[in-house]
Amino acid sequence: MNRLEAFRRLLRLLDREPVIANLGKNCYDLFVAGHRPENLYTWGAMGSVSSIGLGLALARPDLRVVVLDGDGSLLMNLGSLATIASLRPPNLVHIVCDTGTYETTGGQATHTAGAADLAAIGRGAGLSHVESVADLGQFERAARQSLVEPGPWFIVAKMEGTATTAKVPRRPIYDKYRFMEAIGSL
Amino acid sequence: MDWSAVMAETLKANGYDMVAYVPDEVADRLLELLRQEDSITMVSATREEEAVAVLCGAYLGGKRGALVMQGSGLGNSINAICGLAIGIQIPFLIIISERGRLGELNPVQTPMGRAAPRILEALGIQAFRIDKAEDVAATVEGATKLAFASLLPVALILSTALSGGKTWR
Repeated sequence: MNRLEAFRRLLRLLDREPVIANLGKNCYDLFVAGHRPENLYTWGAMGSVSSIGLGLALARPDLRVVVLDGDGSLLMNLGSLATIASLRPPNLVHIVCDTGTYETTGGQATHTAGAADLAAIGRGAGLSHVESVADLGQFERAARQSLVEPGPWFIVAKMEGTATTAKVPRRPIYDKYRFMEAIGSL
Repeated sequence: MDWSAVMAETLKANGYDMVAYVPDEVADRLLELLRQEDSITMVSATREEEAVAVLCGAYLGGKRGALVMQGSGLGNSINAICGLAIGIQIPFLIIISERGRLGELNPVQTPMGRAAPRILEALGIQAFRIDKAEDVAATVEGATKLAFASLLPVALILSTALSGGKTWR
């Protein structure tokens, strides 16, 4: 599945839900698919987006929080899956765009291109709402369900990397305030 | 005076909504007391960097957070402190129980004990040692004001003089 198209379909399902994207190509594709004030683009702390999403979901149970993670990023923070499974925030939707590569550093293979299975790791961590999807139709169905039914949801989406080159404006402090204002936290 | 009880009470009085931590013997009673507070969400993290990111997410949601960890966890926390907290100006309180300093018994805890003060200084994180239980309340209150005025993490160091340090089990 094409990630840019998957993000376009996801955004069509959303209203005002916050979306937090991991650094690199997920940010670029989210920006191109549809910039909105509820998007938070991250620039560093690789691997942290699942945990940022957990903190936001716990802080704001009134919001459905969507996290767009990467396979290389999540492999840096697998422990977060156990923490999420333990705290079980029903309003967290954790989507991993599993391309099997470290795209932003030049396309080197991650371990999900080999033996590692993130969905199995998620189940092993104790998550019970785990979906593996491989095409746009499956992705859209899983996303739609995860936005209305109690989670936490963990959706592993096998995707191809895309060649999006449009760069998100690098203004992270401004973006923080814009995001907080959009979700009513300021 | 029971420093853990004073600190738990002061954190609550200063509006902390979330405490993310990696379990620690010195902070065990503090964490147990905080767990009894309905107004505080407790997050047991698998490593310190994860705890930093959880607190940053909570801040984006309008909540005030504190990180509780051993000094040895500082190394694990730095990437998120730099690339997230300092990078986009997110304040929280870092409560560090000293390791590798006065009274340390574990040889491999001593390198971080030597390095920690200069690591914090290099990061621009203001750190305040607490040696006496009677200083806990004022220091927590002052550090809270400073963190949320500077929009940066501020550290409190629980010295072994205050806590008695870790016992050898």
